Amino acid sequence: MLRILMTDNRKILILNELDNIAVCLVDMEVGEVVRQDALNLTIQNRIPRGHKVATKAIAKNDGIIKYGERMGHATSDIKIGEHVHTHNVLGDRLSTEQVNMEQKN
Amino acid sequence: MSKQLTAFARADERWGLRNHVLILPLHSALSATARKIADESGGAVAVSHDWSGEVDGDFDRIIKTFSGFAANPNNYATVFITIGTPGELLIIDLAKKLGINKAEVLNVAELGSMSKIAGAGLKVANSLVKEAKAQSRISAPWSAIALGQECGGSDALSGITANPALGVASDRLVELGAASVLGETTEILGAEHLLAARAITPEIGAQIIETVARYERSINYEGIDMRGAQPSRGNIEGGLTTLEEKSLGAAKKAGSAQFSGVLEYADQVPKSGLYFMDTPGHDTEQLTGFAAGGINVVVFTTGRGTPTGSAIMPTIKVATNTTMASAIPDLIDLNAGTIADGIKTLSEVGGELFDLILEVANGKLTKAEKGLHHEFSLSRMYNTVIK
Repeated sequence: MLRILMTDNRKILILNELDNIAVCLVDMEVGEVVRQDALNLTIQNRIPRGHKVATKAIAKNDGIIKYGERMGHATSDIKIGEHVHTHNVLGDRLSTEQVNMEQKN
Repeated sequence: MSKQLTAFARADERWGLRNHVLILPLHSALSATARKIADESGGAVAVSHDWSGEVDGDFDRIIKTFSGFAANPNNYATVFITIGTPGELLIIDLAKKLGINKAEVLNVAELGSMSKIAGAGLKVANSLVKEAKAQSRISAPWSAIALGQECGGSDALSGITANPALGVASDRLVELGAASVLGETTEILGAEHLLAARAITPEIGAQIIETVARYERSINYEGIDMRGAQPSRGNIEGGLTTLEEKSLGAAKKAGSAQFSGVLEYADQVPKSGLYFMDTPGHDTEQLTGFAAGGINVVVFTTGRGTPTGSAIMPTIKVATNTTMASAIPDLIDLNAGTIADGIKTLSEVGGELFDLILEVANGKLTKAEKGLHHEFSLSRMYNTVIK
């Protein structure tokens, strides 16, 4: 059952054990340390509430996994604790990148 | 609270959760008059639109939308305002075939001036409103509910709070014998394989996959860069990065029940079971298609507080986060943000939503109804051809 207790000072939410990202439940500042469950990470950028943080090191072109499912891929290497968003992730489908690649092939 | 559902009985075992008198202009030029009639009446509703009888690639889709909207079981009666074109007559004919409860037609060509139409319309509307108010609700089976699932202005909490809470309520309704419909093809792209795996037959699973593939082909054909529109700027600000991510969260609205079928835009929804309807991601076009399909109540989850509603379908707004729910309480019926706040569990909020759907079905007004959010939008696929 999904029950997130703020009294536990939970700052991030991991939705599936396969995920390499977590959802921030509060605004995160640079240098903030998150120790939660088996996780110990330091926030690398300012991350707004609701946005994603990398909980594992993600290499360029690796899949971004949320809810245990692939939601896109990294366009650059992403360190643990880094903000994961449109600046370093692209969807796998319906993106210009994909169309351009198909045209080149 | 009583768990008994009550509704307005219609022919063919259809049920209305409301008893509206709808003033429906069948030409854009009649929209103002229809609105005037509704505003001056004692409780009729009207919609405005921009269709002027064009016969083009969208003709069938538009005819289907108007006839289904008119015949929605939430309408006690529909007053059609027409100029008398064959297209308009086709709409009225189709609405009758769909089992419209009561139809009245006012023709400008016969009545002459707009003021004569307005006067005659007001008289008819008030007499129908009086009849509608005299009709009582009676005990109804769960199959009287046809629930539409909608999400608009998604944020990163949508897929964690409001959408899965709707999934819990939808599963319970489907189990009891109601119909529940997931729409928005744009927003299942990337999650269609998960939904297809829940289809009752492999054929229906393949249909779900094909519906999304068809959409994807049309977008690629147009050469549209979807990243410009999906996820939307608001979604991205809320923390959603890719269309697939939005879809994975959006699909949570459909709970875990099996899919009994795939419907085209504005197809009539069967009495029981979970369905997928091919609708556009645009909220108002999607809601209009739901109404045309006979859906009589909608749950609309929102991360950013979209006010959109319908003239004839009660639309329940569920907030995904507490910040927004507290900021605009006049738009939000239920706050599912409590799940992320750690105050309530998913099953608790899902249960609250189920109870609220029942209360609304039984007549409790939603915030969108109180605020008179009567949006209506035709869904078009082709360039408009002027006659």
